[in-house]
Amino acid sequence: MMAAQDNNASEGPVLDIRNYTLDYGTPHGPPVQVLRNVSLSIRPGRTMGLVGESGSGKTSLAWAIMRYLPGNAIERSGEIALLGEDLRTKSLEEVQDLRGRRISMVFQDPGTSLNPVLRLGDQVAEVLARHRGLTPKEAREESEAWLARTGISRPADMMHRYPHEASGGEKQRVVIATAFACNPEIIVFDEPTTALDIITARQILDLFDDLHDETGVTALYISHDLGLVSRVAQDVAMIDSGEIVEWGTCEEVFVRPRHDYTRQLLSAVPHPDRRIVASAPEAESDLLSLSGINVRYGDKKSILGFLEPKREVVQGARDVSFGVRPGEILGIVGESGSGKSTIAKALAGLQDFKGTVEFDSRTFSSRRQIDRDYRRSVQIVFQHPDASLNPRQTIGKILSRPLKLYDQVPRSELSQRVRKLLRSVLLPEEYAVRYPHELSGGEKQRVAIARAFAAEPQVVICDEITSSLDVSVQAAVARLLVELQQQTGTACLFITHDLNLVRQLAHRIAVMLDGDLVDLFETPQASASGRHPYTKQLLDAVPVPVKAEEPARTA
Amino acid sequence: MSPAYLLRRLLAVVLVLWIVTIAVFAITMILPGNAAVMILGEYATPDQVAAMEERLGLNRPAAVQYLEWLFNLLQGDLGMSLRLSLPVSEVVGSAFANSALLAVTALLSVTVVAVPLGMIAALKRGTKADLGISLMAYVGTAMPEFVTATLLLVIFAAPGNPLLPAGGFIPPGESVAGFFNHVILPAGALGLILTAHIARQVRSEMSDVLASDYIRAARLKGLRERRVLRGHALPNSLAPAVAVISLDIGYLLGGIIVVEEIFAWPGLGRLLILALENRDLPVIQAITLLLAMVYALSNLLSDLVIAAIDPRVRYE
Repeated sequence: MMAAQDNNASEGPVLDIRNYTLDYGTPHGPPVQVLRNVSLSIRPGRTMGLVGESGSGKTSLAWAIMRYLPGNAIERSGEIALLGEDLRTKSLEEVQDLRGRRISMVFQDPGTSLNPVLRLGDQVAEVLARHRGLTPKEAREESEAWLARTGISRPADMMHRYPHEASGGEKQRVVIATAFACNPEIIVFDEPTTALDIITARQILDLFDDLHDETGVTALYISHDLGLVSRVAQDVAMIDSGEIVEWGTCEEVFVRPRHDYTRQLLSAVPHPDRRIVASAPEAESDLLSLSGINVRYGDKKSILGFLEPKREVVQGARDVSFGVRPGEILGIVGESGSGKSTIAKALAGLQDFKGTVEFDSRTFSSRRQIDRDYRRSVQIVFQHPDASLNPRQTIGKILSRPLKLYDQVPRSELSQRVRKLLRSVLLPEEYAVRYPHELSGGEKQRVAIARAFAAEPQVVICDEITSSLDVSVQAAVARLLVELQQQTGTACLFITHDLNLVRQLAHRIAVMLDGDLVDLFETPQASASGRHPYTKQLLDAVPVPVKAEEPARTA
Repeated sequence: MSPAYLLRRLLAVVLVLWIVTIAVFAITMILPGNAAVMILGEYATPDQVAAMEERLGLNRPAAVQYLEWLFNLLQGDLGMSLRLSLPVSEVVGSAFANSALLAVTALLSVTVVAVPLGMIAALKRGTKADLGISLMAYVGTAMPEFVTATLLLVIFAAPGNPLLPAGGFIPPGESVAGFFNHVILPAGALGLILTAHIARQVRSEMSDVLASDYIRAARLKGLRERRVLRGHALPNSLAPAVAVISLDIGYLLGGIIVVEEIFAWPGLGRLLILALENRDLPVIQAITLLLAMVYALSNLLSDLVIAAIDPRVRYE
């Protein structure tokens, strides 16, 4: 492999993009510029990370390379060359012949990029049959061999399965096997681990490393995650509003960033060492405490139950007990299905539970006992502001709802208080008359936070509130939350799967696994010995981003 | 699919049909003028009516009458038609066979026409072909079968120069050509609105499939367009098409009553109207039950077909 790489090294770049400019036509009005004068080249055997936020044009660049542009795309200028051949001059037939053979792609979500009604084996084999002219039998044998190379434990069995019968990680391995099957010269990876769980994502990254070493393939790795790119790529290009603002080796770009945008992104990336909270106030007792909380899903039976299949009972939470101290931020981490949102819903009074919740010297032993007073004191912010803000109400109306419901202020002072709330989350007062769709994702989430704080609660539950946001927006929202929390002295339950972020802002961290609370520790003790093995596994799975030498802003 | 699942579904069908028997019986009890009056005619004296009610057992409590009816029903005894003085099973049986011929012909031709039309429209999205098909589908859905039937009669069976017979029925056993000659217009009247509806649904399903990530993935594997469509898109759009067709069977059962009456097709619809006019309660009950049974079973069948097509649907 090294020999092949050395041979290629003298030959010049595998992929060479020069002065490429792309517009999307719009039905009314002028075309929108998506990519501006993009130049980028990837040398043989290297992995280049392409990093940008949503809307930066990184995915459009991938489509341009794959020659899979939408009908309204207008290519203004430039060339995209694969080993010196300009792909832009190729006919559709030539492009079809290239795709999957010389240039292939691994997609973001293996759950949607595999055909649900075809067997996994056939989906790998068809590439081999198409491009290498193998007979069906040979193609199947070769596919099975590739599945084995991607670390699938029982490849023969996997060949016969349908996508819904495989796990997310297995499916992504199948997609990767398909991409590597014809030994392409370059593979485009479009956020291949974003849709996966933490530990699975780590395994896929390891697989990428192994296959990259084995095959010496050249790769373009698109991601929004700087930490991840610094782990997989040797070179990195930063893209912002359709322009490559900076590119070079990872060390150059990450350690000595030259461009403001790079510095800004680097400082926004959550880093465990960069704490953004003051220490928690000393507390003599817990503000809110849970003991023996159990939640089961799928238990209910209707009268016509005999007509329904037996549902699998899922234990959402199993004997979970912990306390929340006044004024602290308690992080809850875990993979999807670990029960972290179940706990949030049970505490917010949205989910039936068994066990007891103690709050404000009162005891609640079922959802029905949770009353208005409790609901006022324990507020929740949801993951998707688009789903949690009523699209038909103005921001002012949305924020005045809790104020009216809990009689926070006299009617005459409502609008004044709404403006104050908007200011508190750093939004202009004029936003009161706007509707949610007129706001950006980060702004909407600020409104949702303001709504939760409107009731002057003692506990705010934040359920993955930054997960759907871009890195820089996420950093701003996290900082805002911490500020609000400190000003008001509200305790906060911060649920997330982002370990770097939680280590940045939580005072204590609780770890959940399959409905069990497996670990609970002070944040500085995260890497201490004696942590639960699962905690260690989670922490090891997450690449900690490289720290720039001189971050433009300090937290 | 497990046998337990099939058993559960059949149980559900039985449950639905049992509820239908109660509804049907209750409705026929509420209807003004009972069977005794219908048999004796409007000039019967109250004494004669009472005697007839006694003879037919109509003076007994409703629950007793229902149970007796249900018991007979379970033994296959649907009673005697009051109007035709023939066993109901005989009267309804032959009408059911005739209706089934019409319905199956209509449904088959609809499927053969509508599914490809919808797929073509989705594939040629935004072109003239798509526009034409979509326009036809819009107009078609807005035309109930009595309008279509009248139009078809005016165009194809005008008194001066009838291209096709305006009504009637020839059993296929007697003459296949004659059967088809007679079935074209009623099947067309029944089928047009369904064709329009199914074509629209298939177009939208197929559009979703074509816009999906896995179709994009198939194209980016370098597969040729024909293979992408046949190997990847088609298998995914079949199951939704079956689901739409099975939903439309309910509509077809309603439409058949109107169309049979217009085209003098000796089927269930025509018999039902006749029975209603004559308060022929046993026949009304039998037909209503039969239609409910056909609907319940066709739904079950379509679920089984969908399970066979789509590996994700596994009934346990």
